[in-house]
Amino acid sequence: MKKKAVSILLAAALAAGMTGNTATVFAGEEYDLTLYSIQTTDPDFDEWLANVEEATGLNINVIAAPTDSDTRQQKVTTILSTGDSSVDILEVNDEMCAAFKNSGWLEGLNDTVMTEDIRGEFPQGYMADMITDKDGNIIGVPSYSGYLAFWVNQEILDELGIESLDTKDDFIAYMEAASGDGRYGYGGSWEKTYVFNEIAQFVNMFGGDYFDWTREENKEAIQFLRDMVANGWTPIDQIADKYEQMNPKANDGKYGSWFMWGLGTDYANADMLGADKIHMAMVPDFSGKGERAIFTDSWSYVLNTASEHKDAAITFLNYMASEGGMEIAYKTFDRYPARADVAEKVVPDSDPSKEMYTRYATECNVKGRPMVAQTMEFISDMGTIFQSCMKDEITVDEFCEKAQQYVDTYTN
Amino acid sequence: MAVSKKSMRWIPWILILPVLLIRTFTTIYPIFVTIKNSFFDIRILAGVDDFVGFANYLKVFSDQKVITSITFTVIFTVVSMALHIVLGVMLALILNMKFKGRRFIRTIVLIPWAMPSVVIGMAAKWAFNNDYGLINDFIRWFVPGYQNSWLINTGSARAAVIAMDLWKDLPFFAILVLSGLQFVSEDIYEAARVDGANGIQCFFRITLPLIARNVLTLCIPFTLWRLTSFDLVYAMTSGGPGEDTALIAYRITMEAFTNLNIGYAGALAIMLFLVMAVFSWLNIRVTSRLAD
Repeated sequence: MKKKAVSILLAAALAAGMTGNTATVFAGEEYDLTLYSIQTTDPDFDEWLANVEEATGLNINVIAAPTDSDTRQQKVTTILSTGDSSVDILEVNDEMCAAFKNSGWLEGLNDTVMTEDIRGEFPQGYMADMITDKDGNIIGVPSYSGYLAFWVNQEILDELGIESLDTKDDFIAYMEAASGDGRYGYGGSWEKTYVFNEIAQFVNMFGGDYFDWTREENKEAIQFLRDMVANGWTPIDQIADKYEQMNPKANDGKYGSWFMWGLGTDYANADMLGADKIHMAMVPDFSGKGERAIFTDSWSYVLNTASEHKDAAITFLNYMASEGGMEIAYKTFDRYPARADVAEKVVPDSDPSKEMYTRYATECNVKGRPMVAQTMEFISDMGTIFQSCMKDEITVDEFCEKAQQYVDTYTN
Repeated sequence: MAVSKKSMRWIPWILILPVLLIRTFTTIYPIFVTIKNSFFDIRILAGVDDFVGFANYLKVFSDQKVITSITFTVIFTVVSMALHIVLGVMLALILNMKFKGRRFIRTIVLIPWAMPSVVIGMAAKWAFNNDYGLINDFIRWFVPGYQNSWLINTGSARAAVIAMDLWKDLPFFAILVLSGLQFVSEDIYEAARVDGANGIQCFFRITLPLIARNVLTLCIPFTLWRLTSFDLVYAMTSGGPGEDTALIAYRITMEAFTNLNIGYAGALAIMLFLVMAVFSWLNIRVTSRLAD
């Protein structure tokens, strides 16, 4: 009898569970489109979403993208490569744009969103390098404009009485003076998939070409980085570091300078952002000819070719490309507007990033990062040999030889 | 109404049909597709899809990244399993002793096993950090000024990965050995002690022979789990420094889902599958012999 009662209870519970699930499904909300977003962890995300829904009249379903870069890339790749239509709009970074732009998985937006009247307001070099496919179709709407900015710790500069970091000699003098007792003149995130940014940045600063490792300037750049390690100006420990490990060290005053994306949210959160603490600075001129190089990046909204809600998706993208869409992104996410005309209007002069971003745009040679279709594989391979070189396992010449082999493999 | 014996024969098949169908679609079909793909050069991002015969299989022997992965997988599996056996049996013996709070200890010892590997990997990345990690903080209590970045050198990074693997799975292994220990009758020890056997003799002459089959049986799934382990490395080291901690399962995942080299990943997966099949067969043979 007892057994029977327990069986009936279990069966009833199972049935109730199934009914409950069914009810939830039936009561499910109808959405106009689904957005795969990287911003969901931002505390102001709901405010942003409410604004977008009100402005576009769309009811948007949001799926949170993984925060880990590898996992995110794998999920996005799976969605797009399998023709999954459950996601309409995705936010993708430069690495993914480079990988997917010629795959046919992303819809061209020339006639619908990135029309000629607004196209000229976006960074032209970036558009050409990153989000235009081989047939000239623009496949994304840049959601912001970012630079791999040069950051310095003003407290260390003041302590050492250094006022200028304009040339290679200034930079070296700063390295020598700032390094010692657990502190380093320069810090980075040299994990094998992150260090690519810095290798390419130093190659640019020395006037080299990331796709030509026979050039003397490339070799000089790698030798310089290796000397920085050997001289104790930068720690070898950082080959295990991603940005989440590097930024706390920067906040703790362990680094005198570094390159980093964004407007310094991590420093602001630690109350370390400011003209007298951590701030952006002009990239030093290593060439001696007044030539400065800087990378720009963005995350772009892209439209899945398999989407079954293209009209709604285009309405969404048009808003994201408009002044209203860029303004709300700037106000809620601190994302510097990608359109120059909008940035001029929306960003107040009191915003310290405006002055430096304007200077970067006008005084530097602004480039998109050097990427290939098999981007992550290329980045990882280059990072691996760079780490070996910095650990003295291979020479600089061997590094350059292997790097050229990778370039040949991945660009042919 | 009586059901004939003949029609009764079909009832079990009808009952398990849903499971068979699910298995066909989720396991058998993917295996055949993977075997087929392994004979093709499929690079989705490069738009390549060509039949290449055994080229993917031959490439394995000249691909330095895969050779490094195989080397570390062998080290990881052998060292981790050896330590699982030695430390697992020791821990099981301790947990088998009679002392106050034994139940509580048996319960809390399983906590690491219950935690997801990815969480452990992410925590370990910080734990082994030279500046902020608790491992070096602990060492500095005894060796002031100690500096070591565990995850930047090949040897120490590999040791750290093995240590975290042990920290997570050793308690589970020990609990399973403990279940075997509890079947060893106290009477046998009693008799041995009467005959003058000491503790060490009791362990090597009674305990070890009686739990050997249990331990060897446990070694099958635990070794296979080591061979297919990827999540710990994924979250902890991303295979670094360089490719030195990239286990073979991690390499397959990266080739398949990040690099989208589906054909090559398929060949690697099939080779791993064969290794696992041979290992399981060997292990079953040895276990059967012991039983005889």
